[in-house]
Amino acid sequence: MQFRKRGSFAVKLMSMMVASSGLILIVMIIFNYSSLKKSYLSEAEEAAKNLSKSIAQQVSLLLASAENATKILAPIVGKYLFSEVELTRFLEDAIKNKPEIFGMGVAFEPHAFKPELYYFMPYLYRQGDTIKPAFLGSPGYDYFNWKWYAAPKEVHRGLWSEPYQELINETVVCTFAEPFYRTSQGQKQFQGEVTASINLQWLQDIVASAKIFDHGYAFLLSRTGVFVTVPKKEWIMNLNIFFAATITDNPELQRIGQKMIEGGEGFVRIKDFLDYQDAWLYFAPFPVRGFSMGVVIPERELLAGLYRLNKRLIFICLVGLLFLVVVAMLISRKVTGPIRLLERSAAAIAQGNLNLALPPPATRDEIGSLTNSFKEMQEALKEYIANLAATTASKERIESELKIAHSIQMNFLPKKFPPLPVGKFVEVATFLAPAREVGGDLYDYFLVNNRHIFFMVGDVSGKGVPAALLMAVTKTLLKGLTEVGLQPSQVLAKVNHELASENDSMMFVSSFCGILDLETGELTYSNAGHNPPILLRPGQEPQWLPVPEGFFLGVFEEAVYHTRRIKLLPNDLILAYTDGIVEAVNVHERFYSKERLMITLKEAQYNSAEGLVKTVKDSVATFSQGVPQADDITILALRFKGYKIP
Amino acid sequence: MQIFARKENDDLVLEIKGRIDALTSPKLEEECQSRIDQGEKTFILDLGGVEYISSAGLRTILILARRLNSLEGQIRFCGLHGMVEEVFSISGFNSLFPIFPSVTEALGQS
Repeated sequence: MQFRKRGSFAVKLMSMMVASSGLILIVMIIFNYSSLKKSYLSEAEEAAKNLSKSIAQQVSLLLASAENATKILAPIVGKYLFSEVELTRFLEDAIKNKPEIFGMGVAFEPHAFKPELYYFMPYLYRQGDTIKPAFLGSPGYDYFNWKWYAAPKEVHRGLWSEPYQELINETVVCTFAEPFYRTSQGQKQFQGEVTASINLQWLQDIVASAKIFDHGYAFLLSRTGVFVTVPKKEWIMNLNIFFAATITDNPELQRIGQKMIEGGEGFVRIKDFLDYQDAWLYFAPFPVRGFSMGVVIPERELLAGLYRLNKRLIFICLVGLLFLVVVAMLISRKVTGPIRLLERSAAAIAQGNLNLALPPPATRDEIGSLTNSFKEMQEALKEYIANLAATTASKERIESELKIAHSIQMNFLPKKFPPLPVGKFVEVATFLAPAREVGGDLYDYFLVNNRHIFFMVGDVSGKGVPAALLMAVTKTLLKGLTEVGLQPSQVLAKVNHELASENDSMMFVSSFCGILDLETGELTYSNAGHNPPILLRPGQEPQWLPVPEGFFLGVFEEAVYHTRRIKLLPNDLILAYTDGIVEAVNVHERFYSKERLMITLKEAQYNSAEGLVKTVKDSVATFSQGVPQADDITILALRFKGYKIP
Repeated sequence: MQIFARKENDDLVLEIKGRIDALTSPKLEEECQSRIDQGEKTFILDLGGVEYISSAGLRTILILARRLNSLEGQIRFCGLHGMVEEVFSISGFNSLFPIFPSVTEALGQS
């Protein structure tokens, strides 16, 4: 299972779900345990109570039986004088059908039966299956001093004795003695007591037979806390509860023992004094002679059901959590599956692959709509990139076309000087740099005939392709329309006429043109709105050449142009240029300006037209460094060398 | 480039500040064309705040002039200085259009 890669989300989801559910379950379990425990304990207490009641009832019946036997007999014996045999027979009758009575007897006061008898106590007791008679009373058994006799005598009513060991066969018994009286001369006289004894064993059997849980037991304490019955037989009648508390190192038990013999009732947690385990003790007073009863239930038995229940609950919860884990894993897979695919698509798109198929949006939920958005994005990107590619392709095409146009345009312009006629010397140097691939500046120079050279510079309004087209037209017109004998102004007028006749775009050309007579040095020139050139004469400051008025070419068909003349001396140099020079800006947005051009020319050192052109060109380049070229730049330097007669 | 327009009786004065070149001349052309469409015929262009005008700017002016011509309108210039003044003089613009030193002189010359 692709688990580790998406580990973080699945693990997060799972741990969150498991943690929170686990927390809820733990709280539930704890709460359940504590509330159930309460009900288990109260049920146990109830059971213990009932057990005590049942025991008490049984014991009461037992005791009642003995008591009744004496109470029936006592008045009879008191009223009539019976013989020994009769007495014995009474006793036998009484005891015969009551196996719970161990022994019965009639104890007479001294000389009460027969004057000559000090002691007289006929007594019947059980031994095994038989009933044996005996006559008690002797110096060895001075029953008058025994508590069982003395106490009822004193209080004039029947009482139960404490357990004691009976002489005949050392059985531990409790005896109920009911006093009887004889009325003589209107006075009641105490004559003796009818006794019935119960073998403590009966009591113990009753208590021992009381079952509670598997290992619960009951015990009885006497009025002083002595164990009357308790599972540990050695303790019976020998030890008391306070000793038990000591040996189990349980000071709490001391307190409880005290409460018990004071007749208290309660249900407390103790350490069982028999096996030192945790247990619960129910104690209550017992309806016999200040006895108290305790019922002990081992805690692990008491709560066994609860433990079992709890274990089951925990098990179910664990299974539930496990189930939850599985569900969480499935959910996270369902969620991260599409996300994983989307992630892969995103990675592919980043790599440039826009065609990776997206998972079909199976659900209408957020994942589904995310997938849809992704698809849309993919499509949009594809379209965008296609457009971009097309645009780039066309841009590249245009650029390559412009490059070609550039070379065509540059080839238009003369670079090398045509071979001169013999004896005539003139130097022309040029520089042209369009602002873009193609530009609107132009220059030209050519021999009109064997003694005249025509030259011009021109500047089409604007730059780029439109200007370049007009530049080509203009140059062609100029070359075509220049004839021998025409003045420069007439040339301009002709070119203007042609250009202006079909010019809706209002693009115009400025131009300076001149014709130099190579034999005489006479220069005739005309101007159409162009920057005036500069005349550099050796030994003099450079000067502006005064130019005639004339409007741009191509605007008004009827525009008028004028010609001027000047005589050039050998080594005179005419520098013509376009406004790209004077309007070049530097990083501080200052213009190169005419003034700076003049200064540059004044300081220029040159040996040739070429040298001067380079000087000016470099000066402008340095000035405008850091700023992209704003306008086409053209420089033309023409130096008249003079005429040597061959 | 910014154009501030105000009306002085029948004359529309356009005070221009900045450069008039290939980038900004379309804005000038648009402004003037909308004014023409609103019925303006007499334009006074105050170039006191113009430091530089390129051939694109000159072209715009020529286009404007032609449009106004057919409507029998007029353009007057004032506030020319520095390079702009030179360009106007070299190009022959100052013989094409009436040039005045300032707006005051240019007003009310119709």
